Amino acid sequence: MVRNRVVLVLLKYGIAAIAVTLALLITQSLQPTVFPTPLFFAAIVVSTWFGGIGPGIFAVFFATLLLDYYFVSASRMFSIHPAALLYLAQFSFPALLSSWFVKKRKDAEQALKEARDQLDAKVQQRTAELREANQQLQAEIAERQRAEEAFHKTQADLAHLTRVMTMSELATSIAHEVNQPLTAIITTGDACARWLAVDPPNLRRVRESLSRIITEGTRASEVVKRIRGLSKKTTFQKSPLQMNELIHEVIALMEHELVTNKIHLQIELASKLPFVYGDRVQLQQVILNLVVNGIEAMNEVRDRARELLIKSEKADLDRLQVSVLDCGCGLEQNQVEHLFEAFFTTKPGGIGMGLSISRTIIESHGGRLWATTNPDHGATFQFALPAADGSDS
Amino acid sequence: MNTEEAVVYVIDDDEAVRGALKDLLESVGLRGNIYTSGQEFLAAKRADLPSCLILDIRLPGTSGLDFQRELGMANIKIPIIFITGHGDIPMTVQAMKAGAVDFLTKPFRDQELLDAIHKAIDRDREQRHQRSEVIQLRERYEGLTPREREVLALVIQGLLNKQIAAELGTSETTVKIHRGQVMRKMQAESLPDLVRMAERLCIPAQKY
Repeated sequence: MVRNRVVLVLLKYGIAAIAVTLALLITQSLQPTVFPTPLFFAAIVVSTWFGGIGPGIFAVFFATLLLDYYFVSASRMFSIHPAALLYLAQFSFPALLSSWFVKKRKDAEQALKEARDQLDAKVQQRTAELREANQQLQAEIAERQRAEEAFHKTQADLAHLTRVMTMSELATSIAHEVNQPLTAIITTGDACARWLAVDPPNLRRVRESLSRIITEGTRASEVVKRIRGLSKKTTFQKSPLQMNELIHEVIALMEHELVTNKIHLQIELASKLPFVYGDRVQLQQVILNLVVNGIEAMNEVRDRARELLIKSEKADLDRLQVSVLDCGCGLEQNQVEHLFEAFFTTKPGGIGMGLSISRTIIESHGGRLWATTNPDHGATFQFALPAADGSDS
Repeated sequence: MNTEEAVVYVIDDDEAVRGALKDLLESVGLRGNIYTSGQEFLAAKRADLPSCLILDIRLPGTSGLDFQRELGMANIKIPIIFITGHGDIPMTVQAMKAGAVDFLTKPFRDQELLDAIHKAIDRDREQRHQRSEVIQLRERYEGLTPREREVLALVIQGLLNKQIAAELGTSETTVKIHRGQVMRKMQAESLPDLVRMAERLCIPAQKY
């Protein structure tokens, strides 16, 4: 390192010496046609440009010396003639000045170059940073999209699950709520019997036990009351209804299920049906129930088309009738008898409430719901409702 | 069964069920201590008496089954009777495998529960008896001098006094005295009795 620097310094002074010597040789060869000083000026400028201020000053002294020797003193020797001194001063002062200017200029240029380099590096760095930020952003966007898709899927799954789970969850919860007080009542009753059986009976404990039995009996009845309150919230909202409209609305709701289960749906709706006076939501629930049952009954059907037929017709003068026919596994005689009882089910995951609730709804509308076995495959569920006559609606 | 000397612990988060169980226990002369959670049970001071635990499966926080495992890990040995609102078969299997005495579904018949309690307390009494016997034996064993323990280890190998004397580099008379001391201190009536005691204490018949 240090050696390199010494070499560099020597090189700079060497350049200065060579430049001045060259100026001397050229000037000498052209004598006496030219002024001796301009080429020496050029040599000083070159020395300062490449070597800096040190070699510049060196060039000035060297040039002054040579000028004095070769051109000022006629006898080619270093004289101290006053006129010669003046001449030399005339040369060396501007030479020093120009050397200084050159140095300044060179420094400025160097600084500019450095600034440009720094700027370049900075721009490159910023570009890289920007690129990285951009990539991160892209990744985040992709991640977000994935999360959103997952969220939508979960939501759809959840919606499906809640529909299936709510009833059975509710039943479990109610069972627990009622079971706790019942356990307390039965166990306390047993204890009470024993307090009575001792001789003499421990009447204080008997009274305590009885008090708990009454409290817990009340608690159980509160649970029942709450459940009844729940069902009362869906109050009857009776209005004149167009049965075919209800059927169409239910089919629209079931579209997805029909497609996924590959059900071929047929609709035969009678025109000019009389109005029915009833609760829209409840009657839709009945139709929905029958359609879902029909679809599920055909789950195992592989050897024939899964056909579901929904029919509406006028039964007699003042009644209309809706039928849902499937070509599924059908019904056995002993099943037909129990179909509409609560908790009776033929489905693996069923809780046996659908048909029981449906029958309750239809009966509360003054109608009738029943099931028959089809001659070839499957079963028909149908209900009949009284038509709303003019005076009623 | 001497019911005066037993405690039945109950953990159930339902106040009425807890109260009813305490009532039933007291009506047959059993002492019932009731707790709302496993943590409360663990924090409570428990009497050093034959006991059993009636444990609800459905507890807030840790379930009854988890609590059973917790007791096992804490080395708290108490027979457990599970009660549950809706027990399924896998749950029952898990509980019984982990050593539960019985698994009853609410509401249960009182006789069913009382039978299970008696079975559980008998089991606990037996276990306690065995544990305390070992503790007594260990105390007696600790009362022996190092020399007497050496003699004991050789005696239960079936060595004769003469052989023992040779092993220990002492006289037969001294061995005879040591042997008498061992029998007396351990309260052993015969050699087979002493061997049985050594087995209970897991003393290996050492070779010198």
